[in-house]
Amino acid sequence: MAKLGYLPKEKLTALLEALSKEQRLFVPCQAGDAVLFQQYDATKTPCLDRPATTPPKGIIFPQDDTLFTFTYHKDAEDLKKVSVELKENLDVAPTIIFGARPCDAKGFLIYDRPYTETDTPDPYYKKRRDMTAIMTLACPAPSPGCFCTSVGGDPADKDGSDVLITQLESGYLFESITEKGETILQNSLFEEGSSYQEQAQRTHEAVAELVRKPFQVTEELTQKVLSLFENDSFWEEEANKCISCGACTYLCPTCYCFNITDEQAGSSGERIRTWDACMFYHFTLEASGHNPRALKHQRLKNRVGHKFSYYPQKYDGAIACCGCGRCVRYCPVSVDISEIVAHAQEYTNDHGE
Amino acid sequence: MPVVAGKELRIVGFLCNWCSYGGADTAGVSRFKQPTDLRIIRVPCSGRVDPLFVVKSLLNGADGVLVAGCHPNDCHYSEGNFYARRRLEMLKQFLPYMGIDAKRFHYTWVSASEGARWQQVVSDFTKQVHGLGPLHRKEEASD
Amino acid sequence: MTIERLKEIVHKVLPDVDVVIGYRQGFDALHATPFFITKPEEVDELIWGPLCVHNLAAYLPSLTKNKKIAVIVKGCDSRTVNQYLQENLINRENTVIIGIPCSGVISVKKVLKGLGDQPIEAVSGDGDKITVTTSQGDKALSLSEVSPDKCRTCQYPTPLIYDHLAGDPISPDKPAESVYDDVREFEKLSLGERWHYWETELSRCIRCYACRNACPMCICQDKCIAESRDPHWMTQRLNGTEKLMYHMIHALHLAGRCVECEECTRVCPVEIPVAKIKKKINMEMAELFGYKAGVGVEDTPPMFTFKVDEEKIEEHEL
Repeated sequence: MAKLGYLPKEKLTALLEALSKEQRLFVPCQAGDAVLFQQYDATKTPCLDRPATTPPKGIIFPQDDTLFTFTYHKDAEDLKKVSVELKENLDVAPTIIFGARPCDAKGFLIYDRPYTETDTPDPYYKKRRDMTAIMTLACPAPSPGCFCTSVGGDPADKDGSDVLITQLESGYLFESITEKGETILQNSLFEEGSSYQEQAQRTHEAVAELVRKPFQVTEELTQKVLSLFENDSFWEEEANKCISCGACTYLCPTCYCFNITDEQAGSSGERIRTWDACMFYHFTLEASGHNPRALKHQRLKNRVGHKFSYYPQKYDGAIACCGCGRCVRYCPVSVDISEIVAHAQEYTNDHGE
Repeated sequence: MPVVAGKELRIVGFLCNWCSYGGADTAGVSRFKQPTDLRIIRVPCSGRVDPLFVVKSLLNGADGVLVAGCHPNDCHYSEGNFYARRRLEMLKQFLPYMGIDAKRFHYTWVSASEGARWQQVVSDFTKQVHGLGPLHRKEEASD
Repeated sequence: MTIERLKEIVHKVLPDVDVVIGYRQGFDALHATPFFITKPEEVDELIWGPLCVHNLAAYLPSLTKNKKIAVIVKGCDSRTVNQYLQENLINRENTVIIGIPCSGVISVKKVLKGLGDQPIEAVSGDGDKITVTTSQGDKALSLSEVSPDKCRTCQYPTPLIYDHLAGDPISPDKPAESVYDDVREFEKLSLGERWHYWETELSRCIRCYACRNACPMCICQDKCIAESRDPHWMTQRLNGTEKLMYHMIHALHLAGRCVECEECTRVCPVEIPVAKIKKKINMEMAELFGYKAGVGVEDTPPMFTFKVDEEKIEEHEL
């Protein structure tokens, strides 16, 4: 049975302070005119009334992460003999992500399949994932461009969260979803919350009604997108306004591709893993100079195809898009991925597959 | 080469092959005494100096950057230093806007025969950079 | 009506070109989006108004090599076309320029900020006011309140170059001497304050390169030294040094070329005032060389040339 706790609005700061004492606490904070997940301390201004500009994925999968450092040592007796010393970097502290949105939390479920649910789990990702609890705020309102209900989500979706928070008139209702969440709700700041459950339910339903629904995922969708693979003119048309930057990818809670580089100075250096984006020319550039995705429509096809066709084919039909709408909202030229998917469905309906 | 802690700062010099590098050589051959903070990089022409060379140096450990080329009208390639003058002046005015003291960057003209002038330039610029101290840099931006 | 005149021109031009680039409504009522028109029946979807914020001229260099393109440009965007011609980056014979006199656009970010980022159901304009409808009701905003910085000092409301003009020319009404007031104001801060300002602003950078890819004058694109491993100018690190280095590369490569369309600031997802970096160099170019990018077709960018005797550059003493 889920544990329910109620927190009056004025006690929020006290809760954040209490949580931040025991572990690293990340909260969406006002940073300039943007809202970013930042490690909480008393100097920060939490901002919960709109979704963070960037998703919380960087907390578990940092945009730049030192995998290990290395140093070459020359043998003093025989200078041709060189040994390498490696130091792994796997220090992770217990962490709470507070105020993610349901779509953000769902993003990690999409990460989990390739990163932890395989024969060779990624130790860096897995360790951080295991050490992190996610306290999700049910969306009090939709945001421009978002479409979670089209991809099987919901503004109060519990999937992937440890605690679901619902904003009520004078406070917040906290509902535990996992054991990790139950532990958090043992804090003495929480009051008994079961009497607020109905109110929370009503809020959830009202918000879900307001979310735009540009398309519906059907079983054939994956096949339909795939059937357009060879259709360059379809993709050229969809991509003609795209400027091939990485805003959509870097703001996406589910885009999980990375680059690995060695950065060396003198005889020591580090191997770092950094986010990469399939919208960049360099992403597929091969050492020979050949680039299988030299043109922007090929790259956009990959991004849409990966989310709506290749990923679901590999993982039992799961769509690799959580509908947060950031790629739509922040795209410099308003490329709308939901519109492309809708077009793909229309196109295949009109032309056959 | 590591700096002598407490005594030296890191100054990078981009010197044109035909005039200023020769000027520095003349100063050396003449045994003119010079401060040892400068690390010289020889370039074919001051026109080869991309303003980004200076920025990259300053952001990655240099406390000062000196660019020297042939006097105007004396460029080995006729006009390289005229282009350099425009670019470097643009940079000199731009650096303080980003919060980097313009005194950390100097560009000037030294011919191959001006050993004494070279000595003067290096000594004065080194003194100027020492007056400012090490360039404050924060290696890691906060999240 | 400008839009009727515009559609008329597009209909006239369309048979002779491969594509006409204009604007149509985007995913909600507040966002316009670039619109590539190839068929006459699409022309009806064209829109024009304060929501048409993008600099469409930026698409030209990649397209005019082997296609004939017509593009709709505002006054500010027309400087891009001029600059392309100065630098020989587009084929004029393959370019048809449809100019629109513009009395100012909105900043989508500023509008959303005033509304707490809600989905916009409807937008209607009336003179210098726009009314925005959300699920919470209507809100009226004055255009000057939500205009981007470039509109506040606009010197070129009417395109400087065009083959067709949709509408009557508009005269500039903003004082020319105040264009760089914000730069002068910023320079009153101490060196340390300026360093701290940029450190804070740039700390948000995620290196998504939206500012670079939206920049009409960033023509290296796929060959950008911010990404290449050879030459290895930069690491893939996300620290303050690398972020500042990237923005220095962008700014210095635009010295004497920046046409002040402020697309870089507009597109930044994390709200870095990217154009403010370049504005200083633009001011220098005006003061040192009397040059403003993209104003005249026949001008030469100042970094592409020199004078034996530079009137404004003095030797620096130590």
